[in-house]
Amino acid sequence: MRLINRLFASLLSMALIAAGVLVVIEVIADRVFDKSALIHWRTLYDWADRTSWLQGSVRVGCIVIAVLGVVLLLAELRRSKPKRLPIASDLTDAAYTRRGIAATIRSAVNDVDGINHTDVTVKRRKVKVAATTAGRQPYTAQSLREPATGAARQRLDTLELSPAPRLSVRVTTRSR
Amino acid sequence: MHADRTNRTMLILFALFLITVGVIGALTGFGAFGAAAEHSRLFANPVGVYVGSNGAWLWFVIAAAAALVALLALRWLTVLLFSTDRAGDIRITGDRSAGRTTLIAGALTQAVCEEIETYPGVHSARARLIGDASSPDLVIETTLEQTADLAALRRRIETNAVAHTRQALDNPNLPVTLDLTVTDRQGRRAS
Repeated sequence: MRLINRLFASLLSMALIAAGVLVVIEVIADRVFDKSALIHWRTLYDWADRTSWLQGSVRVGCIVIAVLGVVLLLAELRRSKPKRLPIASDLTDAAYTRRGIAATIRSAVNDVDGINHTDVTVKRRKVKVAATTAGRQPYTAQSLREPATGAARQRLDTLELSPAPRLSVRVTTRSR
Repeated sequence: MHADRTNRTMLILFALFLITVGVIGALTGFGAFGAAAEHSRLFANPVGVYVGSNGAWLWFVIAAAAALVALLALRWLTVLLFSTDRAGDIRITGDRSAGRTTLIAGALTQAVCEEIETYPGVHSARARLIGDASSPDLVIETTLEQTADLAALRRRIETNAVAHTRQALDNPNLPVTLDLTVTDRQGRRAS
């Protein structure tokens, strides 16, 4: 989100610079030379002077502008996924990165015999583990749920996260 | 830094501006302000009339305001593209009778990284000093190996490398941000 914000902010600042300079140039051109310099304002003025608020294009334009504003506002106000989850420490502001937590829990669960593949999603207060088994006896999803949960729990506890996120583990059999 | 907080604030303000303009325009177009407003021309409103009747001096004020906005936007863009949050070199305070001591920020962060990278179980380390040079913050990003005792390693970083840095800066309260990540790749060091 930060990168997208930086991109939008660059575009907005450039648009403001362009608009500001344009207004200054046009005002000077109009007052000193009595004509427009870069944009034919008269055409725009004439259009606005003969167009009412009732016109479809004006209504649609206003709705589009409002919708764009709402989308941008929601995107800015939305809470993004945390980049780091804090560790209980008095000495530093220590934290594990979300990527790091996912990697270490994935590795712990993958080490359980019979687990073929593991996906880990780390959110602010919850870690979701989705493991897949080969499905052949004795490695069924049901039998591996407990060891997979134990491995994930043990690894999560060693991280000493504060507050400790909730853990949810789902083990499924690979579809053939 | 890249003005992230300013970016967000400005984009929220821009979004509110778009919503205000769009909603007022749409409400006018759909007759929420009466039939007269709905059928009126776009410039036939109090603002348009005021600008029309005071154009002689008002356009100069608008031009001055536009120039100010352009300058502020230029400053914003410059900060966005070229600023850094890195701290400069640090002047060590204390007894100056024998001269002044300046600690090069890069030397300090390199020493921190080199110390951390000697710990078994550390894959790599990066550090930087941010903020004002007179009261900097140290940010350490360390990648730990999967097989390491993560909690013990973190404590070792805090009680050794971080403690040594605080000692070097003669600042026991130096704020330190420690970001840890984990990799399944093996370290570069032969142990």
